[in-house]
Amino acid sequence: MTYPNPASAIEITGLTKDFSLNLRGIKLRAVENLTLAVPEGQVFGLLGPNGSGKSTTIKIILGLLEPTAGECKVFGVPSGRVDSRLNVGYLPEAPYFYRYLSGTELVRFYGRICGVPRKRLDERVREVIDWVGLSGAAHRRVGTYSKGMLQRIGLAQALVHDPRLIILDEPTAGVDPVGSAEISELILKLKTQGKTVLITSHLLAQIEDICDRVAILDRGKLILEGAVNELVGLSNRQALIVDSLPAAELEELRGWLSARGHALNAVEQPRTRLDQLFLSKVSRPQKGGEAK
Amino acid sequence: MKFNLAALRPLWTGLLVVAALAVTGAAIRPFEEPAWQAVRAQQPALKLDSLQSALGQGITAGLLGGFRAIVADFFWIKTNSVWEDSDLPATQTFIKLVTAIDPRPLYFWQNGSRMIAYDMPNWRIIAAGGYEKTPQAEQRRIDEEQSAVALKYLNEAFGHHPDSPLLYVEIANVYLNRLKDKASAAEAYRKAALLPNAPYYAGRIYPELLRKLGRHAEAYAWLKQLYPTLPKDIDTAKGITEFQVQSAMAPVVLERIRELEKELNIPQIEVFKP
Amino acid sequence: MSTVSTPTSPSSSAVGMRTVPFSPGRLGIVAGNTFLEAVRQKLFNFLLLLAVALVASAQLFREFNFGSSELKFISDFGFGAMVFFGSTLTIAATAQLFFSEIENRTALTILAKPIWRTEFIFGKFLGVFAVVGVFCALTTLLLLALLYNRETALMAADSEAFEHGRIIQYGDLVLLGVLQWLKFGVLAAITLLIASFSNTNLYTVVMGFFVLVICHLQYLARDAYAQVASLPLRLLVRLLGYVFPNFQVFNLADQIGIGAGIDTGVFLRVAGYALIYIAVIGGLAVYSFRNREI
Repeated sequence: MTYPNPASAIEITGLTKDFSLNLRGIKLRAVENLTLAVPEGQVFGLLGPNGSGKSTTIKIILGLLEPTAGECKVFGVPSGRVDSRLNVGYLPEAPYFYRYLSGTELVRFYGRICGVPRKRLDERVREVIDWVGLSGAAHRRVGTYSKGMLQRIGLAQALVHDPRLIILDEPTAGVDPVGSAEISELILKLKTQGKTVLITSHLLAQIEDICDRVAILDRGKLILEGAVNELVGLSNRQALIVDSLPAAELEELRGWLSARGHALNAVEQPRTRLDQLFLSKVSRPQKGGEAK
Repeated sequence: MKFNLAALRPLWTGLLVVAALAVTGAAIRPFEEPAWQAVRAQQPALKLDSLQSALGQGITAGLLGGFRAIVADFFWIKTNSVWEDSDLPATQTFIKLVTAIDPRPLYFWQNGSRMIAYDMPNWRIIAAGGYEKTPQAEQRRIDEEQSAVALKYLNEAFGHHPDSPLLYVEIANVYLNRLKDKASAAEAYRKAALLPNAPYYAGRIYPELLRKLGRHAEAYAWLKQLYPTLPKDIDTAKGITEFQVQSAMAPVVLERIRELEKELNIPQIEVFKP
Repeated sequence: MSTVSTPTSPSSSAVGMRTVPFSPGRLGIVAGNTFLEAVRQKLFNFLLLLAVALVASAQLFREFNFGSSELKFISDFGFGAMVFFGSTLTIAATAQLFFSEIENRTALTILAKPIWRTEFIFGKFLGVFAVVGVFCALTTLLLLALLYNRETALMAADSEAFEHGRIIQYGDLVLLGVLQWLKFGVLAAITLLIASFSNTNLYTVVMGFFVLVICHLQYLARDAYAQVASLPLRLLVRLLGYVFPNFQVFNLADQIGIGAGIDTGVFLRVAGYALIYIAVIGGLAVYSFRNREI
C-alpha cells in the first residue's frame, strides 16, 4: 500500500479543543480554530507561554486527545488512528519513563512496541544509545539518571524506530547550557537526515537559532506564524561590523552616508551571547553521562 | 439551563457498564447454577441468629463471606486453649459455637463430645473437692449429667452426618465407659457395625458385650455372619491392604466363634465351617 | 557529544506506511514489562513473609495433637491465607501498576507510540494476572509440600486414620489453586475497570475492596430476592444479584483437608465462569479507558 507523499508532515485545520468542566456547560477552551502546517524536513517551533495550548496541540497530534472540532493529520493520516504514529517519535516534557528499567531495556522496550524488527533491534538500540552519548550508562537504571541523561535517553527512545517526524516537548527545560547546546546540535543533525522536527518551548531565545519556522500561540490562538528570518529580521536595516573607528573617521562615515540619503542609526559595541561565552569557557562532560 | 452533554459521558459509560454486567450476569446464570448448587450442597445452613450475639458483626461477616472453615478452626484452637485451663463454661460454649459455625468436620463432634463426657466430670469433681472428698453418689450424678449432655450433642451431629459409624462408636463409648450401660453400648456398637466403612472393632466389641450380658446365642449368630465378610489375605486387586487384614482380625473372630460353640454346646456336625 | 556519530538510517520502508493491526505480540510486551515492574518494585517480597507465616502456623498446629485433622487446619489456614493475601495483592498490584503509568505519565509516552489502547490495558491486565499467578503457584506449592510432609509423618504415627490411604487429594489441591488464580483474575479485571475511570490509586483500592466484599456476599441478594415484598426493592436486589459476580462459587477448598475432592464438571464450570467474566469486565475496562484523557 502506498500513501501520497504530502509536503506537510503535519496538517492542522480549524482545530478546536474544549475541556468540559461540569454539567452546566462551562468549558475550558484550550485551543481555538488553529490552522497550521508543518513542512516536511524542517525544524518547526511551536512557541507560547504556559497555558497557551502547546501541550494540548501536541497531544492531539499524538492521538492522545480527540479534537472537539477540526482535524489533524500526520503524513496524511488522521492523528486519531494508531498508524499515524508509526513514523512519529516523541520526547515528553518531563522524563516520563520507567525508572526501574535500564537505559538499554527502556529503548529496547519502546523499539519493540514501535515494531523494530527483532533481527535489527539489538543493533539499533546500541546505535541510538551510542548516538545520544549514553553508552557508558545504558546498563544503569533510568531512576539513577540526571536530568540531562534523561533527556538523552528520551531522545534515544524517540529515535529507535527511525521516525520521519520527531516531536520534542520542551526539550531544553531544566537542562544546563551545555546540555541545551548538545540537544540543539542533535536537532540540526536530524534535519540534515531529512527528518521533520517539531519543538515546543516557552524559552524563545534558546530555540531561535535552530528553528526554520515558528508558530506562536497565546491562550489557544495562533498569534504569529512564519519563517524565523522573516519574522525577526528587520528588513529595512543592515548591520555592518567594523573594526573600532576613531571619532573623526566615524564622523566622516556619517557624512558619507548622509550625502547619499542614509542615516547612521546607532553606533554600538557588538556583543556575543552569554550562552556562547559560557560554552566557550566551560568544559564538556565525558561520554557516559555525568553522575546525578 | 443548558447542559453540557460531553460532561455526561461518564454517566453514560457507568450506565453501560452496569447494563453490560447485568446482562452478563443474567446470561451466565444457567451456566453457573449447577456449580453453585454443588457449592451450596457442601455448605450446611448457617443459624446466624444464635451466632451473631456470640460472635459480633465482624466475624459474622466473615462467616457470610464464605470463611466458615477457617473461623471454626480458629475457635477450635480457642477451645483447646480454654480446655487447657479447665474452664468448663468457656469450653462448653466454644464447643457448641464451633459446630454451629461449621458442622462438617466430624473431628469437632468427636473431640467435643469427649471433652464433655470425660474431661468435664473430672473438672467438676476436682472443683467439688476431689475424688476422695466427693461422695461416690455425687460423682455418679456428675458423670450421668455430663454423659447426658455429650449424648445429646452427639445425637445432634447425626443431623449433619447421618451415616457416620464413628458417631455411634462415640455414643457406645460414653454408655460403656461413663455410664457402665453395657446394653445401650452394645446396641450403639451394633448400629455402628452395620454402617458402611465401620471400623472392624465395632463388629467384634458388640458380640463381646452380648456375651457379658449373657446373650451368647445372639453373639454366636452375629459372629457367624460377620466372619465371611472379613478380609483374610492381602489382595491388591480388590484394594485389601495388610493394615485392613490386621485390623479385621479374622483369626480372633474365629477363635471367639469356637469359644461360643463350646459355651453353647454346639454339636460338631453343626459347628461353623469357615 | 562533540564526537557524536550519526546513526545509520534505514530507509523509511523498513517501518513504512502501513496499517497497525491488533497485535498479541505488543500485548505480551506490555504484559512482560508490567510483570517486570512488579518484580523490580519488590511486590513479591511479602510472599516471603507469607511463607514464613504458613510454615510457622503449621508448626503451631502440631502442638495441639489434632491427629489426622491437623491436615484440615493446615489446608484451611493455607487457603485462607491465599485468599486474604491474594485478594490484597490483586487489588493493590492492579491499582499500583495502572496508576504508576498515570501518575508518572509513562502512559503518555507509551500511548504516543503505535499501540492500541486495548493492547495497553489488556497488556496491563495480563501482567497483573501473571503476578497473581506466580503468587498462587508458589503458595499452592508450599501448601502442597507442607501437607505432604505432614501427612507422611502422621501416616507413620497413626495407621488407623489413614487406613484407606492418603486423605489429601493433591491433584485436586492444585486445581483449587488454579480456581483461586482465576478468581483473582476476575478481581483484577474489576479493579482495572474501577481504575479506568478513577482519579486516584486510593479510591481504586478502597472501591476494589468494597466490590470484593459485595461479590462475596452477592449470594445473599439471590437468596433474599424471593422474600422481598416491595417491587422496586425486589428489582434492585435482583439487579445486584446479576451485576456482581458470585465469588462464593469459588469456595470449594474448605473440605480438601478432610479428604473431599472437586468434581471435574464443577471445576470446568467455575473456570468457564471466571474466564467469561474476565473477558466481559476486561472489555468494559477497555471501553472506559478509550475515552480517558491522559
